[in-house]
Amino acid sequence: MKSLSIRNLSKTYFDPYAGKHVTAVQDVSIEVPEGEFVSIVGPSGCGKTTILNMVAGFLPVSGGEIVVDGRAVSGPGPDRGVVFQSHALFPWKTVLENVAFGPKMRGVGPKEREAIARDYLALAGLSHAADRYPNELSGGMQQRVGVVRALANEPAVLLMDEPFASVDAQTRMTLQEELTRIWQERRPTIIFITHDVPEAVFLANRVVVLSKGRVLEEVEIDLPRPRSWETLIEDERFKTLSSRVLQLVRSA
Amino acid sequence: MSAALSVNPFLRLWSGYLRLVARRPALGQILPFVPLVALWAGVVEAGLFPRAFFPGPVDVVRSFVDLTWKGILPAYLEDSVVRLAVGAAAGILTGIPLGLLVGLNATAHRALWPILLFFQAIGDIAWLPLLIIWFGFGLETMTFVIVYTVLFPIVLNTVLGVRSIPLDMHRAAQSLGAPKWRIVAEVVIPGALPNIITGLRNGLGYGWRALIAAEMIVGTSGVGFMMFDARRAGSVVEILLGMIILGLLWYAVDALILAPLERATGRRWGLVAQ
Repeated sequence: MKSLSIRNLSKTYFDPYAGKHVTAVQDVSIEVPEGEFVSIVGPSGCGKTTILNMVAGFLPVSGGEIVVDGRAVSGPGPDRGVVFQSHALFPWKTVLENVAFGPKMRGVGPKEREAIARDYLALAGLSHAADRYPNELSGGMQQRVGVVRALANEPAVLLMDEPFASVDAQTRMTLQEELTRIWQERRPTIIFITHDVPEAVFLANRVVVLSKGRVLEEVEIDLPRPRSWETLIEDERFKTLSSRVLQLVRSA
Repeated sequence: MSAALSVNPFLRLWSGYLRLVARRPALGQILPFVPLVALWAGVVEAGLFPRAFFPGPVDVVRSFVDLTWKGILPAYLEDSVVRLAVGAAAGILTGIPLGLLVGLNATAHRALWPILLFFQAIGDIAWLPLLIIWFGFGLETMTFVIVYTVLFPIVLNTVLGVRSIPLDMHRAAQSLGAPKWRIVAEVVIPGALPNIITGLRNGLGYGWRALIAAEMIVGTSGVGFMMFDARRAGSVVEILLGMIILGLLWYAVDALILAPLERATGRRWGLVAQ
């Protein structure tokens, strides 16, 4: 896992309905050192998903640059794994085939890529679901597979776009705890996009608050790990940090 | 203790039928025809119409045995089925690649979509006058009609299938390192497959009808020819036999080819409602 630099990034596009150019992202710089977990929060329309799509290479940048592992980004690539809100699993592939897809594209042989996929499925407690199709899984399990599929390709950075936004509240807490556990075990470099402030604080080493396409402030999250909701829900430091970030988001 | 609620005997019969069909699904395919055939036989036996004008099930079965014995029916049936199979194969082999191209490439879509819609609207039979002048009465004309009819539903449904694959699916494949051609093989074709099979179903259905019509008009063999020839001889029983064979053959195509394909793809993957 490697580092990520977002330098003076901006995005303008032409809105044909408004008949003018719109600035979605303006002069954003974010440094994510190797092995760090950074959450980006902000109200809808603040540009957080646009930034993630540019880092993923799905959208061209209008200005600035994105450097992953020492190389400037141009287009999508396996060095940046993406976890989607819609999970985007391939419905016609089994869970195992979905997770083995990245290694398969890298040219890893059938036996070896199955072993890789089984290893990562075990990491997320999904071994029993290996031969099922995605539509046979619950929403929470689908998202777990989505995370594991991206991780199994061993990307330099993991980009997560509100991955837990469409699961129920209980499952979401479990998924958040599992993600922190997996992060501690494997130490991937992660950018996590969310509009959920407690989620951002719970997961990250650092929370970047965006407002109207700019970085409003960065907040260091110095909570001890391992983190669990049972302890943090009553934790004074967690409450202080959460309300600090919430105030920033609401002022945004 | 109060007396058990009395059950309508018809409901009891119905629930017995449902249980039977649940145990033996094949019976569920056959039993609904029993009242229909009984009604037909009843009307014939009542002697409302002259027998030669409105023959009964037994007459049709006798005619079936007779024509099979003589070898006419198997030969004609083979001709029709081979024509449909050849037409379907040609339609699939050109229709799916063309649909993928039009579905994936914006330029191809812009250039070809209006043309596809235009020619789709000109029904198979509408080509016949021109085809008879060009190719005469025979195999070329029938082949053109069947390929033409099978092709369009497959192309149009393939395009629809390709375009209905969510953008995130393409993005996921790209960021997992898939080059373009592998995205076509691993994402686009399987993602479009349920629609492609729907296209195949429509294409074969239209194609089968078009083929029979073409055989009636330009054929010298085949089930359609047999029926039209029977009209010349005034043999209602052979016409009815031909009609029943058309229905049964479609039933077989559905049960042996289309339904298993659908079960193995879209339904299995949860892309199509059960």
